[in-house]
Amino acid sequence: MLYSLFAIVVLISVYTARHYLFTLNRLFGFQRHPYIDIDTADWPQVTILVAAHNEEKVVAHILTALMSVNYPTERMLVVPVNDRSTDGTREIIDRFCEEYPNRIRPFHRAGGKGGKAAALKDAMELVETEVILIFDADYIPGTGLIKQLVAPFFDPEVGGVMGRVVPLNVGTNLLTRLLDLERSGGYQVDQQARMNLRLVPQHGGTVAGVRLSALREIGGWNDNSLTEDTDLTFRLLLAGWKTVYQNRSECYEEVPETWQVRIKQIMRWAKGHNQALAGYGLKLLFGKHRATLRERIDGFLLLGVYAMAPLTLVGWILALALFYEGVAPLHGVIALLSFTAYAATGNFAAFFEIAAAARLDYTRQRIRLLPFLVLGFGVSIFSVTRACISQLSAPVTGAQFHWDKTERFRATP
Amino acid sequence: MNPALATVILILLAGTLFAIPLLPALIELRLKRDAQPLNVIQQYAGEIRHFSYGFRSYIAALLEPLQECVAAGATSEGFMPDGDEYLLLGCANDTAFVSTGEKTANCRSVVAVGMDVVLPDGITFAKEVYAAGEFTGGEKNVFRALLGEKNIRLGRASTVNRWAHAVGTFRAEHDCDLYGRISSDREIRLESGCAFQRLNAPYIALGHSASEVSDGTTETVQTPVPGGRRLVDEDLEIQAGDIVTTNVVTRGRLHIGAGARVLGSVKSDQQMTVGAGVRVEGSLISASTMHIGPDCWIRGPVIAEHGMAIETGTCCGSSRTPTTVSAPTIEIADGVVVFGTVWARTEGRVVPQG
Repeated sequence: MLYSLFAIVVLISVYTARHYLFTLNRLFGFQRHPYIDIDTADWPQVTILVAAHNEEKVVAHILTALMSVNYPTERMLVVPVNDRSTDGTREIIDRFCEEYPNRIRPFHRAGGKGGKAAALKDAMELVETEVILIFDADYIPGTGLIKQLVAPFFDPEVGGVMGRVVPLNVGTNLLTRLLDLERSGGYQVDQQARMNLRLVPQHGGTVAGVRLSALREIGGWNDNSLTEDTDLTFRLLLAGWKTVYQNRSECYEEVPETWQVRIKQIMRWAKGHNQALAGYGLKLLFGKHRATLRERIDGFLLLGVYAMAPLTLVGWILALALFYEGVAPLHGVIALLSFTAYAATGNFAAFFEIAAAARLDYTRQRIRLLPFLVLGFGVSIFSVTRACISQLSAPVTGAQFHWDKTERFRATP
Repeated sequence: MNPALATVILILLAGTLFAIPLLPALIELRLKRDAQPLNVIQQYAGEIRHFSYGFRSYIAALLEPLQECVAAGATSEGFMPDGDEYLLLGCANDTAFVSTGEKTANCRSVVAVGMDVVLPDGITFAKEVYAAGEFTGGEKNVFRALLGEKNIRLGRASTVNRWAHAVGTFRAEHDCDLYGRISSDREIRLESGCAFQRLNAPYIALGHSASEVSDGTTETVQTPVPGGRRLVDEDLEIQAGDIVTTNVVTRGRLHIGAGARVLGSVKSDQQMTVGAGVRVEGSLISASTMHIGPDCWIRGPVIAEHGMAIETGTCCGSSRTPTTVSAPTIEIADGVVVFGTVWARTEGRVVPQG
């Protein structure tokens, strides 16, 4: 028990140090935005895939926004990927196709495997361009976003691009406000610091792009993955392609407005992440590939993020058990664990990161909600642990992984 | 003390201490003072002409009175809706803006000039200037911002602090400091000694001899069709005269020998040097510094994360394939042409040849 506790304490400390490193880098380090100044170019042909499964509430918004971007119209094809929708999504998409026949080509999918990756995989039959951008249907791209996301592909080393996600429905309730803060920390600090430090920015699967030749090289979309974005990030890395993050390529999204939807979402992310950890973790650390040492370490830590939730819980239980057993030599360890666990819940490192993000975003009042993040953290740690347990017990229980679409809350247009 | 009372006090005290940090949070949650989405600008203010478009809308109401001033050969003053003073000049010889006769050379009004004008030297314009006709500045003029519907020519050692846009040609004589955004719908010409940050025009000639540089596409029929990519983990030298048919990505330093031709794009993690007469059909990207020799032609974007120098005779992009040249600091020799954008986040400078 003692050594297990020690190991957990060390792991939590590593993650805490990582949070501090990222935050300090964002506040004081050299900021890398190498491609953001490319505003004039012989822009390549691009295909924009819009993943849509029962998206009648939101799909018109993104298609309208995409028809207004400043990318050359003759070099841009929008492909709404209607994945087995049973609501009015198909009719809305078809209406747009009639209005913009040369700019939108629909891909209607009536059957087949569920999940975004499977839908994107099938839709690849319509893709002929080297640059592919991907959006979920609830996103609303700004006028200049497509050029910004295409620009990094002029770098022959870049296989994937990720933009910044900004919640639109911030003011709805406490949950949306907490998710706004979390997103802010995750993108403004975490992702950009990884970009600055030449680590592993994560492909988010939306407001994102991928190079067709890179995708083909790694075997296309993995429709067995619950988080095709994480899966893509690591397969690109192992194949010698970079994923880059563009912090100034911002796009609005809708965040979950109920805890139930949020829990489902984070459980899917956790399972997908853990899938990737199992699939690529050791290969990333010890395999023969082109990733640098720092990319190997950061990539492994990134893969392990969701595994830390159950480990932290186990650490708490172990600490309590040892304390009540009265194991005297452990008092110091318990104190250390208490400190690091306290930090890991956000009071130090993660909260510091979010506070720094709020400062970088020039927001002032919303940072006052910081103490409530403990609530979000608590829900996340138990949801992620539940996801991990269900994942570990799947071989025994026979439970199948399935993809849960995140519910939308926007009013139907 | 009564144990029950002590317990109650302890609970109240602990509860209060717990609640104190939550109070601002509860107030914010209730009042929603900062519950708007982050301001993601949907209209893309990064467009270089963003401010000139905005200014054109701002002064739209002045255009009719400006024409009346021109017709009458008169000068007119007044106030914009936001309270700023304006000055409309309808006579070419009118130098009323030189503080209406006072001996200072500062003009605090928004100025709109209705006809061709040649400015005296040494005037500072604290507000924007609009020129409906040909605009020729004097030496050591200072402009906050400048919009010209025809050609703009700035005199030696003039300064633009925020932006300037010319519908026609924008030309700056020696030693001008051009901060912010400088754009033209036709052509930008900067003489040596000029400092700049962001330039955009279909044709940008830097230095006197730049017009001798040819448009690269007139000499090439090759469309870049690179076959795969070559990954190198150490320093790499592409030999002089070699033809490289792939994209090239190297972890170390990269040198491209004189006269080599690359059909794909090139990326190096460390310093990149490009010899004389090299042709690159794709892009050039360096995560460090970049030095481009004389008489090169690069079709795609040219990006260096830490600094760049370009020697005379080099051409980036073409009239059919405009491009971007970007680095925090850019030193461009007299005699370089860029079709598209040159963007130096910190400072760019046109330096004399040699």
